[in-house]
Parts: sequence; structure tokens; C-alpha cells
Amino acid sequence: MTPRQATYGRLDHPVLADSVFDDCILTYFKAPHSATGEDVVEISIHGGEYLQNRLLEVLVKEKGVRFADAGEFTLRAFLNGRLDLTRAEAVADLIHARDAASHRNAQHQLHGRLESAFSGFHETLMEMITHIEAELDFSDQEIELVALESYLPGLEELHERVQLLLDSYFYGKHLHEGFRIPIIGPPNAGKSTLFNALVGMDRAIVTEKPGTTRDTIEASKLIGDHTAVLVDTAGIREAGDNVEQSGVSRSLDEIARADIVIQVHSPDTEPENTEIPAETPCIAVFSKADLSPDTRPAGQIAVSGLDGTGLGHLQEALAARIAEIAARNSEGVIITTRRHVNVLERFLGQLKQCRTAITDAVGPEYLAADLREALHILGEITGETTPDEILDQIFNGFCIGK
Amino acid sequence: MPVSRETYSVGETYDVIVVGGGHAGIEAALATSRLGLETLLVTMKIDALGRMSCNPAIGGLAKGHLVREIDVLGGEMARAIDATGIQFKMLNRSKGRAVWSPRAQADKHAYSRYMHDMCVQQAGLELLEDEAIEVFAHSDSDRVGGLRTRSGAVFACQALILTNGTFLNGLIHIGDQQFTAGRIGESASVGITESLVDLGFRTGRLKTGTPPRVKRSSIDFSATTVQNGDHEPEPFSFRTSSFDPPDIPCYITHTNQQTHELIQASLHRSPLFTGIIQGVGPRYCPSIEDKIVRFADKSSHQLFLEPEWVDADQIYVNGFSSSLPEDVQLNALRTVPGLSSVEFIRPGYAVEYDFFPPSQLKASLETKRLEGLYFAGQINGTSGYEEAAAQGLIAGINATRKIRGEDAVVLLRHEAYMGVLIDDLITKDTDEPYRMFTSRAERRLLLRHDNAHIRLLDHAERVGLLPPEHYALVREEGGLVEKAKTHIEKSYLKAGVVNPLLEKKGFSRSAESLSLASLLRRPGIDIRDLVDHFPAWIRNQPGRVLEIIGTDVRYAGYIKRELEQVERLQRYQDLLIPEDLNYLGIQAVSTEARQKLDRVRPETLGQASRISGVNPADVAVLLIHIRKHVSRETS
Repeated sequence: MTPRQATYGRLDHPVLADSVFDDCILTYFKAPHSATGEDVVEISIHGGEYLQNRLLEVLVKEKGVRFADAGEFTLRAFLNGRLDLTRAEAVADLIHARDAASHRNAQHQLHGRLESAFSGFHETLMEMITHIEAELDFSDQEIELVALESYLPGLEELHERVQLLLDSYFYGKHLHEGFRIPIIGPPNAGKSTLFNALVGMDRAIVTEKPGTTRDTIEASKLIGDHTAVLVDTAGIREAGDNVEQSGVSRSLDEIARADIVIQVHSPDTEPENTEIPAETPCIAVFSKADLSPDTRPAGQIAVSGLDGTGLGHLQEALAARIAEIAARNSEGVIITTRRHVNVLERFLGQLKQCRTAITDAVGPEYLAADLREALHILGEITGETTPDEILDQIFNGFCIGK
Repeated sequence: MPVSRETYSVGETYDVIVVGGGHAGIEAALATSRLGLETLLVTMKIDALGRMSCNPAIGGLAKGHLVREIDVLGGEMARAIDATGIQFKMLNRSKGRAVWSPRAQADKHAYSRYMHDMCVQQAGLELLEDEAIEVFAHSDSDRVGGLRTRSGAVFACQALILTNGTFLNGLIHIGDQQFTAGRIGESASVGITESLVDLGFRTGRLKTGTPPRVKRSSIDFSATTVQNGDHEPEPFSFRTSSFDPPDIPCYITHTNQQTHELIQASLHRSPLFTGIIQGVGPRYCPSIEDKIVRFADKSSHQLFLEPEWVDADQIYVNGFSSSLPEDVQLNALRTVPGLSSVEFIRPGYAVEYDFFPPSQLKASLETKRLEGLYFAGQINGTSGYEEAAAQGLIAGINATRKIRGEDAVVLLRHEAYMGVLIDDLITKDTDEPYRMFTSRAERRLLLRHDNAHIRLLDHAERVGLLPPEHYALVREEGGLVEKAKTHIEKSYLKAGVVNPLLEKKGFSRSAESLSLASLLRRPGIDIRDLVDHFPAWIRNQPGRVLEIIGTDVRYAGYIKRELEQVERLQRYQDLLIPEDLNYLGIQAVSTEARQKLDRVRPETLGQASRISGVNPADVAVLLIHIRKHVSRETS
């Protein structure tokens, strides 16, 4: 087989087929020019689970052949230096992307946008360390002395950049988990009917009896570029029994963690005044529009889960709110994993320690240790820094030596 | 074809033979003989023992740390400079405590004489003026056999320590002139390299240089800036008791545009730029022509005029190392303020010499290829007297221990600059002259010059080069420091007592009691500000000990973090790599890393991780392989 060329062939099955089992195309990727950095052969056969499974059955009986563990190819690519950690993580995000927005972000990360943001932080710190080290090891020479205080603005600016990236997790989390949109309202307001209509199937049980929904039910739906998680909740009232009571309390929890709330009013229920956090966007709908089309209060979208009235309007309103949230965040680089949040939070703490070191005048080598610790924390994402690297930078940038 | 000892009829037999009487050789020979082994030191010139071939100074940034460590392990360098120094100065005083570093100008005649006398008087140490020309192996093994000399003598030994400095096939360049020499006025050494290559060693070529020596009487010092030493000089050795050295000044002047133009116009006559010099020179100690080319936008470079001995008419022009022709050097120097009618005693020159890439060594400085053979100093690609002495001492100690069947002394990177030095050498296979820097030590904050004796006490005692009473004194001091630190952490001063001090130092008043430790951590408050509040057993300690206590307390948080990091890394750092691991077969390691690992053959995973070109992912893969390797062998 020639590397990077598709080769046509025929597969014979040892037991099954009397003649040809299937046609196949083999593609050979020679190390290190493959996705994993190892020798890789891809076998393409005609679709269909039957053919695939029969082939796999035969192959895994061969010596040295086994099924890959979950993520094993990505792991190998990482171990072989084909991917750094942020990119390896992006592969996982890419596989799990459910909508255009999270796909776009995972692609950015895979192609190094997150990595380059982190290396930007790295560079800023390295520059400071390089200067400090030069002053320490060559103080008997004519290195231009820099007062340590002059690093303060740079550290503060870095702090802001990191904070901005951390803030992006608010949006990044949504890319990962979807926008959470509970449907709330008094019992029997028609929440479940609306929920079923929006997600396009009968997920929730609908009866005429108030208080039918006892637990929250959720389902994902694509709205524009993003994934929304719609949540049907128990109607909020002084509950009749313990089960319903705990359902109500879950509804209140949902409101607290909601990204957008759909508040349902209906012509045949008492208006209820559940408190919704001021910063959470709320879309008011007037349900059962099929019953009394003309009684809709101003500012509410008239909908009917039964005949589909107003569903288009409601979806547009949701898409608009989601777009508003996204627009606030999606410009820059976005982090989507808790691990990055954790590293960045510790990184911020260490940056603060660096500033304290300067104001406490502990001395440049101690500040350098604090800066290195910050790099070390960052290194959990980008890879380690070695003192050699620091020395190299010194030599490249200064005139040193007797 | 390698020759074995059977080829020759062997004359005398020694426990240890040391070749070379420079800073490495002296420490090696003094160590083995003091530890009770019959030692022969072979040098081409007994009068040149301990000669300072380049600058007349000991110590300096990071190097001062090395000297303090050499001292506590029982080396001679610190005591020699304390006895013969003519100006002492603590460098980096404006920086934090961890990088303060002692330096001294030496009277190089007195220094050399001190070392000469020390060697001559040492029981168990014989000196031989001869040229070593061949190393041979023992006939029945991969063990060193002995040494053959120019005069025809053949010696056998259990351990051979080579410290040949710049002498192996040394070639001096001054402009377009070249001649073989180890250093100016002394002939090169031929034969050792060739016999080692026959024995399978890899060799390389390096270059170093030295500036002109000029007549003091030809300098107009009024055009320069005077530089003196410290008013309260500190000795290098913790064993030096009465200390009252002279303070003879140095002088600072600067090159200018005219100097640079003259040199620029003569580059075609520089062997560095015409390609005649093949060896790689040190980046951080470049020649003046190198500086002018690499930093063309710099209009001036600093020069130090340093006396070479008391009442010397010979001045060392620090900063003007050069291999340009003599007339160019002279004309260029004459453009410098104070030097307009300067006269040469001798011009600067460059020397090229053979070295042996140090990845061929174990951490004990024994070669991997030939048991009982040790290398120390410039033969390993280092530069500097202090780096050489540190290796000589370790080679001497470990040769002795090997002969006695004891474990080698290996200092770790977080224990000593000496540990950093040797680990760097054997791991990174330096391809330019290696000089110590504080930034090479990851755990620099732990490695202060002032605590060298305390932190290395256990190793020093194991080595046993010093009289036992010295160890007892240091142990006592270490204990006292610990006790004092606890006291300071736990003692509080009432607000009424502490407020006058706070106000004096510009802090706002406190309403509550404050611990002595929290006061010490405030910027601008020194341990001396607090002595009135200490019990007598702390108050009466000498300033040197108070400084150690004060620094330990002030930076306790940093020290704790450093120690945690050491522990974090140590878990896998010490993991031994099987000697027969087939690196080339590990596909998952990058090709570059595979080749480097195969060449260096690191002893531990920690060492592997420090090889340049081996990235964290490679280390992770190695870890998996070692575990597999071990489990295969035990199952």
C-alpha cells in the first residue's frame, strides 16, 4: 500500500461467504503523518451494521487486534504530541457538539484558538521572568534595571484578560449543556401542552386535572444555532400532598438556575406572581389561545399548544433572547469545561499573589518564584516551562557577558 | 586498538591518580588523600598548581554559592580565597536574600602559592611533574587500568580522575597566529584524547578566551570610576575565624563608538569570524568582537580594570576578551578613557581544546564506559574555577567511596547548586562552555549561600572530610536556628510595644498584639529591628546567624511552597529507569526524544524529563513503559 493513497480490494470471510464478502477501500497513513502519529490503516466497507459487525468479529480474533477504548485515538494523538491538551479536549467537544454554535467553538479550540489565548498569558509572564532573571544573573553587567512596580500594570492587565476568559464560561457552559428554559405558571395553565408542542412530541402527560405534573421533565430542542433544554415544571401553588409539594420546590429551583423563563398565563387560571430573578429574561405567553383568542393581555404572546398558534412567534422570541446572551460572549475565545475554569481561577489567585509580592517588596527572585508558580499552574493546560527556555530568551534579547 | 595494562610493565601503583593541577585537580587530589587514599597528582608544572588562567577572582553570582558548598563538603577553595583575597564584595545586595552571592578579587600569586603549599604538605599526596599521554583499560574488564606519561612511566591505579582543563590538544589563537598550547606559555597535552577515543569515548571541541593584561603604570585612573569592596567583608568559609582582608580597588571604564568602529573594521582578521576557530564559545562570556557584532546598537560596553595581585603592575581588562590581532586589540583599547596610552604585558587570546560531552558520565562523575575513570572540570565542558572545583571535589569523594565499596554521594537539584551543575551536565550534554546561573536552579529559594553549611551538613558528615567538631558546631547552629524560628512564630508583642516600631517604619498603628514573625514579614522591617524583643539566646547570636533566622522566617511561605514542589516532583523523579530499556523501540515517544534518550540513557525519570527535546508527553509515555517493564520482570 502506498501511504496516503486509497487502495481498492476485496474481503473474503473465512466462514460466511462462498465468494466475495464485500469490496473495500484501504487507506494507509504512515507514522507520524496520521491523526494519532502512529501507523494507521483505515478500512472502508459498504454501510450497514451487519457487514460491519461480521468484519469486526473476524478482526478482533486476530492477534494484536482489539476494540479501541473510549477516546483512545485522541489519547494516542496526545501522547504522540499530535495534539496538546486543549486540542485533545476540543476533540471530545467536537464529538459531542449538538448545534452549530458548540461545533464552531470546538473547531476553534481544535485549531488552537484556546491554546493561543493561553500562550498569550504564558508569553506575558515569560517576558517579566526573563527580565527579572537577567537582572539577577547578570547584575554585574549593564542590564537596564526595571523597578518591580513597573510590572504591576502588566499583571493587572493580564488579570483582566484572564477574567474575561473566565467570564466566557457563562456562555461556554451553555455550549456544553444548552440554555435552560423552564416553563412556569400556575397549575393547569397549559404548560405541559406547550412543552409537548415545542419539543414536538408527547413527553409530558396532559390532563385537565390541575397538578398533574409532579416532577420536572426536560427535553432538548435546537433553537437557531443553539441547544435549548426546555423544562416542564409542576404548577406553583399551595400543594395538596407531599409529592406535589416537592414538585413545586423543584420548580422554584428551576427558576433560580434558568437562563430564560417562559411564564405561562391562561384565561382560566388565577394570575400567579412567582418571583423571577431580575437578570433572567422572561417571556410571557398567554396560553389556550384556541379557547379565547381575543383576551390576550398586552406584551404576552398568544399561543396554543393544541393548534400551534403562536409557536413560531414564541420560538422567534426565544431565539432572539438566546442570541442576545450569545452576542455578549461569543466574540472572543470561549472556555467550556470546568477543568479550565478551575485552572484559571487558581491562576488568577496566583497573579494576585504576584502583585502582593511586588507591594511587599519581597525581592525579585521571590517574585520570580511566584511568576513561575503562575506559569506552572498554566502549564497544566499548555505544557511545562523549563529554566532553559528562560535562559534562551535572556540570551536572545540582551547583550550579556564580559 | 585500545591498549591494556599488560602491554606495559607497570611501575608504581596508587589508589588514585589525578591528572591536572588546576582547580578541579587540586580538590580531587586533596579529597582522596585526606580521606586516606594513596594519591598521585600528575601535572605538567608543579609551580602552576592552582593557577588562575583567566580572571583574578573567586565567586560571583551563583558561583559564590558553589564555593560555599565546596567549603562545607570539605573542599579547599573557600579557605584559599579567604586567605589570599584582596577585595570582598557581596553581589546582588539590592535583590532578595536567595541570590546574594559573595565574590572576591584574588591575589593570584598568593592563591596559587596557597594551593601549592597545601598540596605539597598533604600527607598521602605525591606530586609528579610530567605529562599524561595515555589512559589504558584493565586487561580483563571495562575497568580503568592506569596511565602512561611522556617520560615513559606507567602507573596503575584503582581510580583515575582526569582534570585536563584546556590542555587537551589546546590551540591558541591571536589574530591569524595559531600555536599549540594549553594556556599562554605552557604546552598543550597530546595523547589523552586519542587514547580515550580509542576506548570508545565521544569528544568535541570548545573555545574560550581571555582578555589582555596591561601595565598598571600605563593607565590614567583619574578617567575611571573607583570600585571598592564591602566595609564589612564576609569570609567564604564557615571555618574562617579571624578575617581582616585588604580592600584593594578595581576601576570601571567604558568602550565607545570609536572602539567599536576600529574592531568592526578589523573583523576580517578575527579567527572567530573568518571561521578558523571551530570550537563553540560561551554565549555569556563573549569576546569583545562578538559583543560588538551581536549587539550592534549598543554604543558602549563596560570594562573592569582588576589588579592581579597586591602591588601588581599587571591589570586584567575584564570585559575585553579577544582573539583579534594584537595591534587591533591595542589600538581599540587606546580609545577607551583612561587607557589612551595603555601598554600590553600580553594580548588577549582564544584557546580551543578537546572536551568530552558529559552525558558520558554518571551522577558520581564516573564514566559510564570505563569503571574507575572520572572526569572533572573543563574536560566536561564547563567554564569557571568554581564549577571545576565543585566537580573535582565530587569526583575525588566518589572515587574514594567507590574504592571503599560505598554508595556515591549524589546531591539533588534542590539540595545544592553542585547538584544542579552535575545533573545539568550529565543530562543536557552541554554543547557550549557551561557556566552556573542562579536561574538554572529551580529551587533557588532554598539554596541560599548563607545556609549552605546547614543544608549540606548531612552529606558533609557522610563524606567526612572535616574534623568532627566542625559538624557538631554546624549541627548546633542548625538546631538553634530551628528553635529561634519557632520562637519567633509563636511570640506576640502587645500593641503598645509594637506601635512605636510600626510608626517608625511608616505603618499604621495596630490595635492588637502582633507576632514577631508577622512583623518580620513586613517590608522594611529587619531582624535587627526586633532584637530588643528577643530572649538573650537569640539576641546574642552573631549577625550571620540572625540573618539566616530572619530570612527563613520572612520567606517561610515561599520555602514551604518550594518544599512542597520538591515533594510533588520527587514522587516520580526518583523512579529508576531500567538500564536496558530500549528507547528506540518506543514508538509513542517523538523521534528526537527517542534519540536523545538513547544517547543520554538517563538513570531516573526525573533526569529524563530534563533532557531538552523530551516533552511532558514523552515523559508520560516513558512512565507507562517503565511500569510495564517492571511488571514484566516481576511477574
